[in-house]
Amino acid sequence: MKDVAKSQIIAGTKAIPALPRAATKLFEMLQNPDADMAEIEGILRFEPGLTANILKLTNSAYFGLPNKVGSIRQALVLLGRERLVELTMVTCAGALMWKSVPGYNLSPGELWRHSIAVSLAAEGLVKVLNLPEDKRVFTAALLHDIGKLVMGDWIKGDIEKIDELTAQGTSFEVAERLVLGTDHAEIGAEILKSWAFPQELVMAVRWHHQPERADEPSTMVDIVHVANVLCLMIGIGIGIEGLRYELSSSATEKLGLKPADIEQVASSTLQWVDELGNIFV
Amino acid sequence: MKYTVGVADMKVGRFGDILVTHALGSCLGLAVYDPVAKVGGLLHAMLPLSKINKEKAEANPFMFVDTGVPELFQEVYSLGGQKMRLEVKAAGCGEPLGNNQMFKIGERNLTILKKLLWKNNVLLNSKDVGGAASRTVYFYLDTGRLVIRSNGAERDL
Repeated sequence: MKDVAKSQIIAGTKAIPALPRAATKLFEMLQNPDADMAEIEGILRFEPGLTANILKLTNSAYFGLPNKVGSIRQALVLLGRERLVELTMVTCAGALMWKSVPGYNLSPGELWRHSIAVSLAAEGLVKVLNLPEDKRVFTAALLHDIGKLVMGDWIKGDIEKIDELTAQGTSFEVAERLVLGTDHAEIGAEILKSWAFPQELVMAVRWHHQPERADEPSTMVDIVHVANVLCLMIGIGIGIEGLRYELSSSATEKLGLKPADIEQVASSTLQWVDELGNIFV
Repeated sequence: MKYTVGVADMKVGRFGDILVTHALGSCLGLAVYDPVAKVGGLLHAMLPLSKINKEKAEANPFMFVDTGVPELFQEVYSLGGQKMRLEVKAAGCGEPLGNNQMFKIGERNLTILKKLLWKNNVLLNSKDVGGAASRTVYFYLDTGRLVIRSNGAERDL
């Protein structure tokens, strides 16, 4: 029965629309330091909707730019190409995730706000811990819960069984797996795989609740894990499962986190989300 | 009127008003009510101590327990509330699973609250704190009734 559910749930991932080609192309460019501005401009030239939203984000309070930016070229000069790719991802993810997610009891916009919050908190953690910058962490964090879009419908039907398990102290994603044969992290990883994202991002999504189970130790997984728990604790996108996720001690130890680091990032995240996340409201 | 108290936010009101705050995870929800003047306030504070980010505390004292709680009491006093009559109730302060010492924000929020109240000779009348469930608080200022919705169930505090 569980296996039947799992295969049906995985089949359901096909209903998630693919990311626009421009987004995946730009993301690939992050790995290619030789890509130049003209190439990036060329990709966005035929995407007026995307371009408009990227410029809206560029002009948000988050960046605090003194003058209004009116072109992709200007945005590139002022923010850099990594940021521009992030904003492209934010725009595309928003188009997918700006909806209510029944099952998890997330009202319209909450999954979206949570996703942005985790991205910004993840970046904040990288900074406060002085870790080497990996701009892909932002995108991994942004997409970590995308599996909920598919799992929500299944959760709805089986929430009583899941609740019974979590009432005994089982973490929510483990309960999902026990009842439905899979969990939202695995389904999210399936979606990223189908979008041909790099393996490390697929793994960061796959193991964002159990970072110690990742095939290889990965700072990206640990950061996404911690940022996610942190955002739930401060109530951004907290759904039916509340805080019923296990916080991995191996992840916090590996990162060398101190309570002050966590609180420092928490205190800034809320404002960042308001500045960047309210653009599409 | 019904007022929603956001994260790192506080609202006060009078007889007939309802104050609501959603999504209390590790954050502290603190309700203060004067049953004679029928005025009250609800705070949703995120972190224990303002020293972590003084600039933020200056801009928004409600983010922190140590700066938000005094403001809450002051606002309720300014509506006519009197210290001797106040009913004080706390909710939230939850934790994720796994007993990770790094992430005891909920527990620390409660500790700082208790210290503050103790120093100021104020009694905490009741609390619904800890655990891994998210809480929503409804605070009715006609009677001071405080309802907690959590896990699909409701209970009075």
